[in-house]
Amino acid sequence: MLRMGERGRRHTTRSPRNFLVFSVGGRRLAVKTLEVAEISPWKPSIPVGSRTPYISAVVRQDQAVLPVFDLASALRLCVQGNNPLCLRIKHPLGDMVMCIDEEMPVLHTLEPAAIQAYRGKDIPAEESYANGLDEIPILTISQLGSCM
Amino acid sequence: MSIQERGASVPSASVSRCFLIVTISGRYLALEVGSVEAVLTIKELESNEDPTIRGVLDRTISLVMQLGNFDSQIYPATRVVLLADQGIRGSIRVSDVHGTLEIQPSQILPLPAQFSGAERHWYRGMILFENSIAMILNPTWVLEATSGAATGQEGGTPRVSGDVCAIATRDGRTC
Repeated sequence: MLRMGERGRRHTTRSPRNFLVFSVGGRRLAVKTLEVAEISPWKPSIPVGSRTPYISAVVRQDQAVLPVFDLASALRLCVQGNNPLCLRIKHPLGDMVMCIDEEMPVLHTLEPAAIQAYRGKDIPAEESYANGLDEIPILTISQLGSCM
Repeated sequence: MSIQERGASVPSASVSRCFLIVTISGRYLALEVGSVEAVLTIKELESNEDPTIRGVLDRTISLVMQLGNFDSQIYPATRVVLLADQGIRGSIRVSDVHGTLEIQPSQILPLPAQFSGAERHWYRGMILFENSIAMILNPTWVLEATSGAATGQEGGTPRVSGDVCAIATRDGRTC
């Protein structure tokens, strides 16, 4: 197995990290930019009978059918705006989409020192960062739909 | 000479499959034609002289509740689809019948892995249909849901009422 040298490891941990900050129901959340596949206008989803929590619809994007993770319901919020956006994320089981507020997401670059552990249990996030008085959770994409 | 030239049938992965496309509460669903015995209107069921067929109506279920929707009203277009699979029979009520669709197995999309609940037993995959999708119902699950409706009658030729056979899907693929 290849191991990263001490110098390389230090470099990795100290490199600034990039996040996309978006909002759902006015609540700001972040996701690693590497886990973002696409942002597009939201198209009506197709309901699919399901017993999986918060995954009960799909959207069709050309020839692809993607599951919808209902983040707004998970947060007990309603998506804001008349023209919500579709955030396509790279989930380990395959791409998945979320309906987010119409407010355009922004890119944030953070120094590793700014990132802290997220102690909240309301959302699958292990890390967060402070933005003024706000604590912005950084979503752990692999946990979406599996532990909520 | 190849096997095909000699006329022997060769199992092929490209053998097309045929589905009956129906709507339940606005959702497209697909039923493999091999498990469909007949499609009848409510009127046809009520006026049928065969008591076995007439009795089907009482035992017909709507999958609306099982699929998480609550509109179970009976409309003029409501049909009853008689199903049979592995010797078990049952029937479901559907809002509308759109016709049959022939596709290659490669056109059947798997249910995304994120769906991890009981629905993995409900569906056998998905088909792109018009601008939407049709979920392929697992007849075993459907018949489990209608288990009280089993009649034990042996099936004959599928009987499809009215205009069902004549309906072509809008993208022109029919069988």
